[in-house]
Amino acid sequence: MPTSIPLGWLQLKYQKLRLFAATLGITFAVILIAVQMEFREALFVSAVRYHSAMEYNLVMLSPKTSYLISSKQFPRNRLYQVLGFEEVETVSPVYLQQGSWRNPVDPTRSRNIFVVGFDPDDDGFGGLLDARQHQQIKIPDQLIFDRRSRPEYGPVVQMLDSSPFVDTEINDRQLSVVGMYSLGTSFGLDGGVISSDLNFLRMFPQRSKAAINLGLIKLKPGVDANRVREKILSQIPKDVSVLTPEEFKQLEVDHWNKTTPIGYIFTFGAIMGVVVGFIIVYQILFADVQDHLKEYATLKAMGYTHGYLRKVVLQQSIILALLGFLPGIGVSMLIFSKAAEVTGLPLEMDIEAALFIFGLTLFMCAGSGILALRKLRAVDPAEVF
Amino acid sequence: MADPRIALKDVSYHFGKGALQKQILFDIDTTIEAGEIVILTGPSGSGKTTLLTLIGALRSAQKGSVKVLGQELNNAKEKELIMVRRQIGYIFQSHNLMDSLTISQNVQMALQLDGIKGKESQERISGVLERVGLGDHLNKYPSGLSGGQKQRAGIARALVNRPRVILADEPTASLDKQSGRDVVELIQDLAREDGAAVVLVTHDNRILDVADRILHLEDGRIKSLSEAVSEDTSRMLNLLEKHDPNSASYLASFSFALARVAYADNEVTESERIEMRRILHEVANLAPAEVEFIMELSMMQKRAISSGLNPQGMQADRAEHFVESLYAIANADGNVSPEELHEIKTIAAEFGLSDPNSP
Repeated sequence: MPTSIPLGWLQLKYQKLRLFAATLGITFAVILIAVQMEFREALFVSAVRYHSAMEYNLVMLSPKTSYLISSKQFPRNRLYQVLGFEEVETVSPVYLQQGSWRNPVDPTRSRNIFVVGFDPDDDGFGGLLDARQHQQIKIPDQLIFDRRSRPEYGPVVQMLDSSPFVDTEINDRQLSVVGMYSLGTSFGLDGGVISSDLNFLRMFPQRSKAAINLGLIKLKPGVDANRVREKILSQIPKDVSVLTPEEFKQLEVDHWNKTTPIGYIFTFGAIMGVVVGFIIVYQILFADVQDHLKEYATLKAMGYTHGYLRKVVLQQSIILALLGFLPGIGVSMLIFSKAAEVTGLPLEMDIEAALFIFGLTLFMCAGSGILALRKLRAVDPAEVF
Repeated sequence: MADPRIALKDVSYHFGKGALQKQILFDIDTTIEAGEIVILTGPSGSGKTTLLTLIGALRSAQKGSVKVLGQELNNAKEKELIMVRRQIGYIFQSHNLMDSLTISQNVQMALQLDGIKGKESQERISGVLERVGLGDHLNKYPSGLSGGQKQRAGIARALVNRPRVILADEPTASLDKQSGRDVVELIQDLAREDGAAVVLVTHDNRILDVADRILHLEDGRIKSLSEAVSEDTSRMLNLLEKHDPNSASYLASFSFALARVAYADNEVTESERIEMRRILHEVANLAPAEVEFIMELSMMQKRAISSGLNPQGMQADRAEHFVESLYAIANADGNVSPEELHEIKTIAAEFGLSDPNSP
């Protein structure tokens, strides 16, 4: 008792039911914000899975390409032209197309799958496939399957455990899955396979070997990618664009964020979460200030300053933020692990995001606390008696 | 003599602006010294509480000067007002304790304003609560106390800083007769010990006797006590006359008779008075309040007669007005009859007043 009295906390503690309701409200707001933000984050992270997994310093693509799944073709010769630059070490043409995958256990069901083709002697996919898999796909009609594809493609993972290969069809062509890589789904992609460029052309006979979707460019060590890019663009025809990995990812993110409604919806959802949270906390704190108006006016009459009362209300809002944040983030994480299991989306909250949400919660609580306090300023202390 | 604790000079106060402006206080002028207990009475709406909040630095008068503890409050800065508030012990109408704090924490809220902490704080808190009779309730919450106990806790909070000015707004309003009495006597004792100036707002007539001085406010102006009492009493007597004329005349006759008979020899001792009360109560079968009324009324008449025997009892100009107005009343019907003349001369003789019409 000898130190000064934590009035804000004592006032909160005194009305246990209200404290519980307030905590619940803020918990709800935190879950709302966290879920929307994390889904939004998952949208972007998942959209650039291939962008991040491939190895390259620069990437060449058609200027008409706005996102990976519907990437447009451009002449393979443009990529080979780049080999002439002394800064360039290797280039890898990449073929992309959606194919129709037949479920290996239920042949009546088929589903679109993302097919990647590249020359197994080239660089670029070392992060996804090991050396043995590079050899395996050289054999005709053998391919590597993404183990984190959606379950609708069939129990490929379990089947590969007990047998060295799984037979299926893509575009009505007999194929064998002989290995797996691990990448995961996104909002646009449910699953994927990787094979050689030759196998790719077997699956898509209408595609020409001379028209590719991506050109991965690897530079010699110590060269400035931006400078090389300028050089390339100034010397080859303007029918291709060349991007750094960051720009390539940004292109994809921009597509999902700006030209599809999905990004907007999640952003809007997160903002709504903050707004709803703000309103909930404001209601709670406003009612609290209203209830204690007489007590606060009494304190003013005794000689307490407005600043002291502000501290009391801020103390309350920080306590509420803490009390609501911890269970809120806990429940969110439960939701994420469940949702990640079901959707295969990368829903893992990192410390940074958690801190950001805590900051938002704090801001939400303190802001509405200060707003609620304006009520107190407006009241003449003498009116209360 | 040092500055008075409270000095009001031509204080006026109004609410609202323009056409809606309503003046609450008019030219209030008074000073209150250390150790003085002033009771502020008046009907509701007379401006009592407003005046108290002006002294308490809770609002500012638009005109005049309010000085508390030497600090001019008019046009004072917020900081100066806060410093004054800290030196005032304010006792609120409905205790205004913090529900979420224990009794001792409530008192500590006042004490920590002065930066008093630790052992001294604890000692002073238990000391002051002991004094108001709440020594066993230190760690209870206000909701666990009776109305009287809560009010006493509020008083402990107001007094723990040993304020030099104590303001109390209807401290007995929500209390029964006995707790109200206890609370007022407590304020009185504590104020006397610390030599504080006390302003107590009330319209509870039962506690007026603790006052050194009574300020009667009516419609925002200070009124003389005799005016206020006359008005009140005549109004009450009229009421009695109207609703219970038999009792009224019975009581009036009793007091009239008592004044004549019991005080005929001008010597009334304390024991005689007690005996008279007993007789009135038991033989005449009157309620205690009615007994008091008759006693007070007859005593007043007796005092009038005995002071009349003393020539210094009435000021010269008042004595002159007194007899003159008797003639005027007698003359109200056009002429002064011999009977009337006789009565006037008798009264003047009895009261020892000179009769201007006698040679």
